[in-house]
Amino acid sequence: MLAILPQLIYTGLGIGAIYALCSLGFVLLIRAANVVNFAQGQFSMLGAYIMLVLLVGVGVPYWAAFLLAVILMAGFGVVFAGAVYWPLRHRSQLAVIISTIGASILLPNVVLATYGPSPATVPGLFANPGFMVGPIFVDTQYLSVMVITVAMVVLQYVIFEKTLLGKKLQATSQDKEMASMLGISVAAMVLITFAYSAILGALAGVLVAPILFVSVGMGGTLALKAFAANIIGGYGNIPGAILGGLIIGLAETLGAAYISTPYKDAFGFLILLLVLLVRPRGLFGELIAEKA
Amino acid sequence: MSLLAIEGLHARYNAGEVLHGLDITVEEGEIVALLGANGAGKTTTLRAISGLLSHVSGKIDFAGETMLGKGPGAIVRAGIAHVPEGRRVFPGLTVRENILLGASNRPTLKRAAREQEMEAMLEHFPDLRRMQNALGWTLSGGQQQMLALARGLMATPKLLLLDEPSLGLAPLIVQQVFRIIAEIRKRGTTVLLVEQNAHMALSVADRGYVLETGRILVSGKPDALWNDPKVRAAYLGGVEA
Repeated sequence: MLAILPQLIYTGLGIGAIYALCSLGFVLLIRAANVVNFAQGQFSMLGAYIMLVLLVGVGVPYWAAFLLAVILMAGFGVVFAGAVYWPLRHRSQLAVIISTIGASILLPNVVLATYGPSPATVPGLFANPGFMVGPIFVDTQYLSVMVITVAMVVLQYVIFEKTLLGKKLQATSQDKEMASMLGISVAAMVLITFAYSAILGALAGVLVAPILFVSVGMGGTLALKAFAANIIGGYGNIPGAILGGLIIGLAETLGAAYISTPYKDAFGFLILLLVLLVRPRGLFGELIAEKA
Repeated sequence: MSLLAIEGLHARYNAGEVLHGLDITVEEGEIVALLGANGAGKTTTLRAISGLLSHVSGKIDFAGETMLGKGPGAIVRAGIAHVPEGRRVFPGLTVRENILLGASNRPTLKRAAREQEMEAMLEHFPDLRRMQNALGWTLSGGQQQMLALARGLMATPKLLLLDEPSLGLAPLIVQQVFRIIAEIRKRGTTVLLVEQNAHMALSVADRGYVLETGRILVSGKPDALWNDPKVRAAYLGGVEA
């Protein structure tokens, strides 16, 4: 049993990296726009379907379909912001949450109506499925997920901490009116945030597509886990979201192998419950605590 | 031509009208104080000037250009910076970052120039220099007020709107804040100052207006206001006498 442990850890981290990506997009919107976007998982679902349509339906080459899906989703993020968030921006956070829940119901149903219910498969990023490193079979798709997740985390860190744009995004999230009084375009900051968040969601979608089936329901599952990751790590905390995603990925994979496969999804949420019992503000503490 | 010319300014919130036709002028180089009790409409007047209210009518001309109907971004780009009530320092950004963002109204400013201006600003505020890498929320009230002033000045405004800069500060810090306000004017920036601390405000102001429930009760030189029985009865009396 223990012999497969390194392999399980590898797979768990790969799955966890996908949750982390999705969770990162989630946290970004919380931090920059105070929006809890319950449709975050649908960004992944849509991204995967766009890739599928481009690849299978239109016949676009693989990498072009991959990039195009992500770019189109950035545009969709802007449209989403305009339709779901902007009209309610002066209302309470609850109104926006309900609006995003509405979108999370609408979007899969639009896809269901146009594409039908049957799940589809997408080939992996690389033709070579993987190679052995010691006892571990290094699946190239999982490896791609991890590499891209790390790259996006670094990019996000650089943007937020090292650029003036990042400071403006942070200022906007902390006090929109004050930001506008300094001449920062709040609308532009919010749109950028939504676009970037949709890119993160889409990346999770197109990367998970070859691992799982592309299905109408995939967004809901991803969003739940991304949300759980966010709570485990500490609400609104960026390193926490990543760690939370990895923990859930590991818990699922190890739990499925050693305890029970049908209860795979339950293990992540079990950890969520444990964290809430022992450390209710999450592993890294909440955003609110950070800001006092 | 006055730098700021306000005529017949009306403003209302959903609950009803709070400014009932104000006439205020600010000449270049002046410090003008807006005084009045709580709820007189001082903060609302500043917010109307800054384009933060949606139901405003009348005339607001700044340097010969109308500001009415413009958004807060356009107004700060025109040269009016607003240091609001409660300082509103960005709590999760450092002192340096807060100051840098003050220059957001000048998008063409190069990075090097921006950094240089910030360094110069830190020279004027030694307290902030010491705390330059501290997050906004960790600062004391007085330090936050200094930071809010520095951030406002980074916009290189022609007119600075200051809302209750002395609120909640220890007397020694209040004196320091008012010394800075006097300095700001000396360096050529015009100031429209809202204060409940009438004594301090009139000690630095060239002229003042006293507001009462959305109307101007009386205006004039500090001495005249100080000795006006109407003013003493309506406002100063309640607080100072």
